[in-house]
Amino acid sequence: MIRLIVGRLAMGVVVLWAVATVSFFALRAAPGGPFDEERAAPPEVMRNIEERYHLNEPVLVQYGRFLAGVARFDFGHSMKRQQTVGEIIRNHAPYSARLGVFALTIAITLGVLLGVLAAHRQNRLGDHAAMTISLIGISVPSFVLGPVLIMVFALGLFWLPPARAEGFSSYILPAATLGLIYMGTIARLTRSGMLETLRQDYIRTARAKGVSERAVVWKHGLRLGLIPVVTYLGPATAGLISGSFVVEKVFQIPGLGYSFVASIQDRDYPVLTGVLVFYATFLVLLNLAVDIAYGVIDPRIRDKR
Amino acid sequence: MTVPRARSTTAAALAAAALACACGLPDTEYFGQVPDVSDRPRHLRFCNSGEPEGLDPATVSSTTAMKPVYALFDGLTDYDQNGLPEPSLATHWDVSDDVRRFTFHLHDKGRWSNGRPITAHDVRYQVIRVLHPSTASVNADGLEPLKNALLYNRGAARMVLRDTAGLRAGDVVEVLAVDGKTAAAWNAADTSPPDANVRRGSAPLALRDLGAPVADAYATVPAGADVTIVELSGDPLRPGRDTWAYVHFNRGDGVYGWVPYAELDVAPHAGVTYRVRVVAPRHTPGVALTQAQLETPDPPRPAVDVAGADVLMLPEVLGVRVLDDHTIAFETTHPTPWFVSISNNRVLRPTPREAVSRWPRRWTDVAHIVTSGPMRLVAWRQRDRIELARSPTYWNQDEVKLDRLTIFAMDDQSAATNFYFTGGCDALTANHVPASYVRKLKGRYKDFEINPYLGIYMTITHTEVFPSRHFRRALAYAIDRTQIPKFLHGGQVPTAQFTPGVPIAQLSDADLALCGVTRDTPGVAMLMITGELCYVPPPGLDFDPEKARAELELARQELGDAFPSSITFKFNQGNEGHKLIAEYLQAQWQQVLGISVTLEVQEWKTFLSDTKGGRYQTARFGWIGNFPDAEAEFLPMFQCDSPNNRARWCNPAFEAAMAEVKPIRDRKARLVKLREAERIMIEDAPIIPLYVYVQLNMQKPYVRDLSPNFPDQPPLHEAWLDPTWRQGDGPDGRPAP
Repeated sequence: MIRLIVGRLAMGVVVLWAVATVSFFALRAAPGGPFDEERAAPPEVMRNIEERYHLNEPVLVQYGRFLAGVARFDFGHSMKRQQTVGEIIRNHAPYSARLGVFALTIAITLGVLLGVLAAHRQNRLGDHAAMTISLIGISVPSFVLGPVLIMVFALGLFWLPPARAEGFSSYILPAATLGLIYMGTIARLTRSGMLETLRQDYIRTARAKGVSERAVVWKHGLRLGLIPVVTYLGPATAGLISGSFVVEKVFQIPGLGYSFVASIQDRDYPVLTGVLVFYATFLVLLNLAVDIAYGVIDPRIRDKR
Repeated sequence: MTVPRARSTTAAALAAAALACACGLPDTEYFGQVPDVSDRPRHLRFCNSGEPEGLDPATVSSTTAMKPVYALFDGLTDYDQNGLPEPSLATHWDVSDDVRRFTFHLHDKGRWSNGRPITAHDVRYQVIRVLHPSTASVNADGLEPLKNALLYNRGAARMVLRDTAGLRAGDVVEVLAVDGKTAAAWNAADTSPPDANVRRGSAPLALRDLGAPVADAYATVPAGADVTIVELSGDPLRPGRDTWAYVHFNRGDGVYGWVPYAELDVAPHAGVTYRVRVVAPRHTPGVALTQAQLETPDPPRPAVDVAGADVLMLPEVLGVRVLDDHTIAFETTHPTPWFVSISNNRVLRPTPREAVSRWPRRWTDVAHIVTSGPMRLVAWRQRDRIELARSPTYWNQDEVKLDRLTIFAMDDQSAATNFYFTGGCDALTANHVPASYVRKLKGRYKDFEINPYLGIYMTITHTEVFPSRHFRRALAYAIDRTQIPKFLHGGQVPTAQFTPGVPIAQLSDADLALCGVTRDTPGVAMLMITGELCYVPPPGLDFDPEKARAELELARQELGDAFPSSITFKFNQGNEGHKLIAEYLQAQWQQVLGISVTLEVQEWKTFLSDTKGGRYQTARFGWIGNFPDAEAEFLPMFQCDSPNNRARWCNPAFEAAMAEVKPIRDRKARLVKLREAERIMIEDAPIIPLYVYVQLNMQKPYVRDLSPNFPDQPPLHEAWLDPTWRQGDGPDGRPAP
């Protein structure tokens, strides 16, 4: 186990370096710079700005400066806003995380329920109903679902605010929008996982021993049936918690997803690379957590290693 | 000034469609809920068009940032309800006979929020800050008319400290080369030239406020570290024991501060050779010129070599002088009748030296900020909202109607409008209602208004790709602009004229007389000073298919085999309207001229880079002015060397006409000449104007004294809420304030 963790962490450092490097060069290769606007500044003004942000240096010198910063987790100062990259992440990541946790709660609760129901009632009405709901969740994009929810619950019924993150009630609509999409996938994964598990010999044994149906499904079946869901939860959690651009924009949640996309549009090099490395770190750690979770859920996996 | 781009997405369209069709819009007088405000009559909640990039008047540039910045920082003048300057820190001002010297007289009531009086020195400090290279302000060109402003901005204007090499102490010189290399050569080598302003202390330097004891120092510069002199206290030509230097220490976020001049005892670049020449009389601070002298070209001036020790870059080279604590004079290179129009601009809003020096990049944080305006900063939740409260130190308390002002950062147009609908904010201005909503709102709700805006939507033509004037004119004649508002639904004002304005048909009788037009004159007029000055731009090449085809025929004869059979048209993503316009132009040019048009859509920054770099044939473009003045804000982009000359149009007749405008002192005579210049441009068709921008404004019926104006700078602090609006008996149901 220790070897696994150390190995994964070492690999993670390489991944982070690759992400930092690719994003650094890719964004600089994109046409236009952070200070290009409709109204162009005179050359002398531009030169002062470039000097301040070291944009006049050769790219490799800039890259060296950047890597030295990354090694200290210091991504420097935004070129477009008055905050440092660290502050931007600290200011905005909590909103995304809160939204992500709510969405994930909705997605897992409803998804697992629907999946178990569908597997248990395979090819019967319950299965079809559950799978139709999950299909809708998967296929309706958030930029459609979000406005529809706003229209009904905010503009029509005035129950919930249409925008901004102000108190718990303002997270309900965005979390539902985001959660329903992930719910669909989780329901399908749970269903297939459960179907396979419920055919296993040990389930038959349990039933033969007279274990109640509820215990068979929820205790013996679900534990193994959830393995595919756990695999999916790693990247899904990273995606959810690190922020969804569309949902954050539609609902004006000041999360990191919006800052990230804005930094690409603005060519705000330090913010973009900083947020990407932050995301990548998160993803590496979550995948590691998933690997550890396998072992906890299924001792056979742990023992094989 | 940059304006937030409309970022309407499919989501916006969908929300609007859903709102309009499925639910049905509420059948009320006002759009959405009108909350009861009796518990907060002095608290305005304003939906701004996004997150301000900062709050420092010296460095911010978007209209989004101006809303909080102008509430926090007072200016020599402020915006009145019409968006024009009204006295604020300055009570009045004088303009010299040669229209090159502007003297502002300040009253003594102005106070910073820390209690310190606001004086003319604070205004001068802001000018220095905006222009000094270490600030790296994008707004530096806003002070371009000042003597030597841009020269100073690139570190190339210096003062001679003693008589040497035929120069006299106090002369202002322009640097041509340092150590034998020009600025371009240094630049090409990716390095900066050594700067004679750099000094070191053989002992550590204790940075502090002017005259403060060492114990009050807020930063220490290690012995032997480089600092750069920004200015000297007292006469720079006669530094004495009591002379102090204000220096910049560039490490981390940087820090500025005063130290006794004598402590800067090491001058590492004293031996550097500067090749310099004296600036021309019109650039020399303190020199007035007669009309005849104004029209005389600059005399030749010899270049000489001097040592770094003998030249310092100091603010004294600039056209700004403090005459006494309450009087400040600005000097411009050319007659600049519109200088007063920039006196309310961010570049002339003083910033507090004591805060800026300590935290140059962080001084607007809530913990550090010192303000001068009607409101003070209480909290700033990034990308969410800014909370402002009435400032107890503001000098003009009677004018402030609000105790509290909340400015929401709403990046998304639909979200802003929805938020307004549910009563979340009381008002939204600027272009912040999605186009898909507009057609449902227009004429239906009393709280929705369309007002003209100081901007022009146009196409630009790369004149090196299309050198034929006839071809470009054919493109212009082929567009029927009147169709555009019919498919954009936004109330846009179709125009073939370049300088934007208000439709002449909508002017008052007095303004008609002022502009010298009759009500049936087609086109627009720009009101520049209420009751005093009006500019009617020359007519453009309006829709005429016959003329279009005739011009095309001439182009065909002229170009022969080089005649282009197809063209490409570029536009940027992010706004449905750009696409609709592109498709309309494509259809018009195909139908009227038989030219096939390929459309190309690009991401915004790529689009900016390509149009600036000349990698396009024709493209859309928009231009917004800071204040209504064609000479200062609109026509300069057509000058050959303008960084904004995307059409790459360079016309000697236009250059000559613009040069002839410069020395004219009488404003009306100037406008006549200017109109000639604009006519040369529009007749040559490097651009094709399509429509005058509009702003879409919404405010709840209880909001008072928040009038949208031409440059979109409503004085928010003067607004107030009237909880008793329903019992109103004034005009249109509103009680008289």
